[in-house]
Amino acid sequence: MKTYLSPRFCFRLCQIAGIGLLFALWIGSDEIAGFFLLLSLVIMALLRWRFPRLNRTVLFDLMACISMFALWDYAPYALAVPLFAAMYFGAYWAVLAGLYLFFYFDPFLAAVLILSALGGVFLGLWERERQEKIKTRDMSAGRYYELEELQADLTAALAQVERMTAVAERTRIARDIHDNAGHEIVAAYISLQTARAMMDGASADALELYDAALERLDSGANKIREAVHNLSAVTTLGVETLEEICNRFPGHAVTFRVYGDTSGIPMYVWNMLESCLSESLTNVSRHAAAKRVTVDLDATPYLVRLCIENDGVTAPSRAAGSGLRNLRQRAAAIGGNLSVDAGGVSFRLVCVIPLKEERDEVTHSR
Amino acid sequence: MTIFRYALLRAIRNPLTLIATYLLPVVLILIPSLWEDGAFISGFAFLAILVMSSAYLSSLSILTDKADGAVLRILAAPVTMRRYLTENLFACMVPLFAQISLISILGAILYDWSLTLSLAVFLCYTVLTLASVTMAFAWHCLFKGAEGNIAGFSMVLFLTAFLGGMTFPVEVFPGPLQYVGAVFPAYWAMRGLDVVQELGTVSGEYWLAIAAMLLFAIAYLLYGGKRRIV
Repeated sequence: MKTYLSPRFCFRLCQIAGIGLLFALWIGSDEIAGFFLLLSLVIMALLRWRFPRLNRTVLFDLMACISMFALWDYAPYALAVPLFAAMYFGAYWAVLAGLYLFFYFDPFLAAVLILSALGGVFLGLWERERQEKIKTRDMSAGRYYELEELQADLTAALAQVERMTAVAERTRIARDIHDNAGHEIVAAYISLQTARAMMDGASADALELYDAALERLDSGANKIREAVHNLSAVTTLGVETLEEICNRFPGHAVTFRVYGDTSGIPMYVWNMLESCLSESLTNVSRHAAAKRVTVDLDATPYLVRLCIENDGVTAPSRAAGSGLRNLRQRAAAIGGNLSVDAGGVSFRLVCVIPLKEERDEVTHSR
Repeated sequence: MTIFRYALLRAIRNPLTLIATYLLPVVLILIPSLWEDGAFISGFAFLAILVMSSAYLSSLSILTDKADGAVLRILAAPVTMRRYLTENLFACMVPLFAQISLISILGAILYDWSLTLSLAVFLCYTVLTLASVTMAFAWHCLFKGAEGNIAGFSMVLFLTAFLGGMTFPVEVFPGPLQYVGAVFPAYWAMRGLDVVQELGTVSGEYWLAIAAMLLFAIAYLLYGGKRRIV
């Protein structure tokens, strides 16, 4: 909702009223110098309204008024307008203009100048307090939006981790069935087929039953094969996903290197690494004129380290974007950290995540 | 200079603007009784009213741009507000500049104006044109709708002419009313033209009038130069 009674509005209203009263005084006096003084005051007020950074030009107004003392009888009263503006802008040194009263004391003029100064101070304080509140509100709103964004990211990441975990579990089950039960059943089937040739002396009923059992075993083996095939994941997982992200990256050839055993890295860590790599490569394409991009993944039993390096940006930006900030918070949530190094000849983003066992050990040792 | 070109074309295509800018001033200058010494209302005053009306009519393109939303499309292009206003200002000034030049030349030929008088009249009207166009720009900032704008400006034009001494000499007004018109540039234009008519040359008061009109133009530019899209 728009607020009409703001200190700025009151300030402008007072300025217009002040200049209007001075104009009325000028009509009574008909001094052309007075008119030019008023017109100058109007122009300077418009200038400050149009370019708020020129607030200090109120000094010019004061000087103009003082220089007109000898030419227009009401010029000392005109001093009230710039004095009011100066107090409003916080230029308290302008009260020095009131020294004029020491040389030529007029009670009415003194009252006008004091009231103008106090009015300006009051409106200025009100305006600054209002600005402070607006700033605080904007900052709170900014933080709120950031938190909302982070929450959305975390929710999406959680859903993805769930999906990846389900896929990984299905892959493990398929692998176990294929490698253990499947092989055993196929071996048993082959053995039974071999034994069938040795059963020439058996009765016809026994052979019929045997053949039926072999047929059912064959059917069972086929069903197991189909089940294994259906359980197998069609999407890539883990290190393959990282490699795919690197291969899909347009415009630049990305070198992807893996060190260590990555089989023990849990799904939530892979998810974090994928987000980190995607965000980094997006940033490279948007902000860096990189000729070389290198991605190194180091896996140890205790931690995982992903390093994305490019030679395009060598100076750190003033502030991290919301994407990097969210990633940093996500990394911190799982005990890791995300750091940026732009001190050398290349820009490097490093994400280090401790593995669960390590964190458990640390927790226990505490 | 695309904005300038199209604003100029739009100003020239309007028949009302053409009549106010070229036809009526020529008719005025051809009426000798208006330009004789001692005329109750001189042709200079009527011409000043015509200049102000023409300035407003020329600047209507800005109002049209605002009303039909063209200014949004223009400012969506890489055009700054300053450039848009500057080119429109020049587009409004050029036809009026031609009008004033024509009148000054015709006055010199028909009524034997001296070179000083012709130049003084030319300068005074040129500065009045600048002040009037910038006043029209500032006026357009105040209104969103065309109807209120035109009606309001008609009243202001009447007040300006009345209080500025264009319809009656300000001396016939009671005391304070003689000076109220000073808030309009027209008052100062008439003061400058009166001095020129009386003395046949320029004096300090003439230059003060010119300076006042220039200051008015600056004030109006500062107010009208604020970016207001709607």
